[in-house]
Amino acid sequence: MRHYTAILLGKLTFIITQFLHLGAGGTWPGEITLTIDPQILKRFSSQFRKGIIIVAGTNGKTTTSLMISHLLQSQNYTIVHNNSGANLLNGIASALVKACDWKGKIQADWGVFEVDENSLSSVIFNIKIPILSSQVKDKKLIIVLLNLFRDQLDRYGEVDVIAEKWKNVLQAISHQSSAMRDKSDITLILNADDPQVAYLGQTTNAKNYYFGISDPQHFLRVKEHATDSTFCLHCGARLVYTGIYFSHLGIWNCAKCGLKRPLPMLTDWNSPLPGLYNKYNTLASVSVARNLHISDEQIGNTLIQFKPAFGRQEEFDVKNKKIKLFLSKNPSGFNASLRTVLELKSSVILIILNDRIPDGRDVSWIWDVDFETIPNEVKVIVSGERVFDLGIRLKYAFDLKNSDASRLIIEPNLNIALKKGLSLTKENETLYVLPTYSAMLEVRKIITGKKIL
Amino acid sequence: MNFKLTIAWLYPDLMSTYGDRGNIIVLKKRSEWRGIDVKIKEVTLESSIGNFKNADLLFMGGAQDRQQKIAGDDFLKNKGPIMKKMVESGIPALFVCAAYQAVGHYYKPYKGEPIPGPGIFDLYTQHPGDQKKRTIGNAIAELLVPIEFKGKRIVGFENHGGRTRLGSKIQPLALVLKGGGNDGHDCYEGALFKNAIGSYFHGPFLPKNPFIADWLIQKALTNKYEKPIKFEALNDELELNARSFIMEKYG
Repeated sequence: MRHYTAILLGKLTFIITQFLHLGAGGTWPGEITLTIDPQILKRFSSQFRKGIIIVAGTNGKTTTSLMISHLLQSQNYTIVHNNSGANLLNGIASALVKACDWKGKIQADWGVFEVDENSLSSVIFNIKIPILSSQVKDKKLIIVLLNLFRDQLDRYGEVDVIAEKWKNVLQAISHQSSAMRDKSDITLILNADDPQVAYLGQTTNAKNYYFGISDPQHFLRVKEHATDSTFCLHCGARLVYTGIYFSHLGIWNCAKCGLKRPLPMLTDWNSPLPGLYNKYNTLASVSVARNLHISDEQIGNTLIQFKPAFGRQEEFDVKNKKIKLFLSKNPSGFNASLRTVLELKSSVILIILNDRIPDGRDVSWIWDVDFETIPNEVKVIVSGERVFDLGIRLKYAFDLKNSDASRLIIEPNLNIALKKGLSLTKENETLYVLPTYSAMLEVRKIITGKKIL
Repeated sequence: MNFKLTIAWLYPDLMSTYGDRGNIIVLKKRSEWRGIDVKIKEVTLESSIGNFKNADLLFMGGAQDRQQKIAGDDFLKNKGPIMKKMVESGIPALFVCAAYQAVGHYYKPYKGEPIPGPGIFDLYTQHPGDQKKRTIGNAIAELLVPIEFKGKRIVGFENHGGRTRLGSKIQPLALVLKGGGNDGHDCYEGALFKNAIGSYFHGPFLPKNPFIADWLIQKALTNKYEKPIKFEALNDELELNARSFIMEKYG
């Protein structure tokens, strides 16, 4: 009975939030459903006919899970996907409430869920039991772990603490799974180039599938500063890199204990989006597809048509100019976006820094972004709630003893900042916007004239 | 003749969790804008002591527990004792967050054995043992010392699990106006010993407190050239705006 009440109220909440445009449809229905029936995720997740795919990591979750969804749909699988970007327990529950019928039945083959780094354990513990104890032999649990960068330490805590939590949950489920039957029910898709993620594969007895980039052309010539784990997870010695792609991702080994980057089973696939980080997202998605025996030809045909998720290299036409959004919310993501934007020959960049909860209250990380790489001829406008913090950062990056409006414009008002950016952008050219999360939603709202989510 | 300044940056690859290099960037540029030649010496595990014992200014930043442990042994045996002598001789220094903990007598992490420190600062730190008890947030404090700044405010962001107790040979730096400070109870934030400042305001401490950067540079030059050094004021309009934002929103 409680089960039905939970679903009924969850669904009603969803309808109300939609009807009133409250913009909370991504989390509230799930929150209410979970409050009434804390076991609801187990009930839902046991119903997927094929299994569940979980995508976690600091950067790339949304894009990767969207690619995986498209790949599954190309095989005529039905899916449930938390594509609103709400990736805590309540966000996943919301996606499920939205997808089920009034009796709580889900008619779908796969669940595809992007999961917040800190919620991975609770999500897995909430779904694992029905998946693993199911009577159906070939149900799968696929866990894709993309990367671990420092991100919003005020909210997430230290990277090592998250890695420890991941290790614990993966050990717990892989032991339980292998005790019950064949370990092949659980597949870990791991980034071989991230030492902390790759090492997780060694600590469990799940089936591992590694992806990574093996192309020295992409090596950085100078190491960036924002590196998180350049010391051996096993013995603590400094890791040696043959080459680094960005941050701490690269071809690594430990000279002391011999731990080294596992040989990736997939190293190359044409990425439908620019940027090296999208190459990793593509490799992760293709790894999943190959594990599900989707043919390379079909993978290629699907990915070639891929359109980015909202805020991730999303493009808008404004008269005869373009605005392109690059969500940038932590040092490694920001450096990756910046590198891509500069490769695209940008001439005007608008950077927006907010410090709300989804952005992280702490803005210290802007000092780990390599703004110094922005060449002299590129104009930068800064805005957002922490516009002055960003202004200080760029003043030092550009070596501006005195203010110079031809190089750096400080504009606290986002509407005006966007207007200034567009007026500085030449006809048929693009204004590149690098916002933090809540700033990205604000910009979209201004551009499209309506609120999303 | 241009003044020359050598800044030693301790463990930039280990003790640099969250924008700590902002302090180095600020020290470097503010010196250069006044015509001072600056050299930054990065000092890490493999660096010899000769690499930094002639430095005029020291900086060490924050770390996660694992990195603090990796640096711990080398710091205790090799770099720490030299730094202790340097600080005692009046070399200015800035130690933020984990570095502030590391320069004390010991740091007891939330699991594992205590990490002994070189006792450059007369203090010790214990982690109460639960991530949930971390002191996290925007923070404001009113300086007690250096005496010329008494009553002036420092702003920043703190994020630490450890609780630090000061001994009798060291002065508290500031009174907490907003935030947890050293141990969450005694109302003090940070510490000053000779010309060395320690603070829980983590990462980029100097960008929003530029007068402290200028003070450190001035102390370093006065020490080195053995005469009082005066230099031009810089345009700190953005810094003042950023400080007011924090004080209005969180004060």
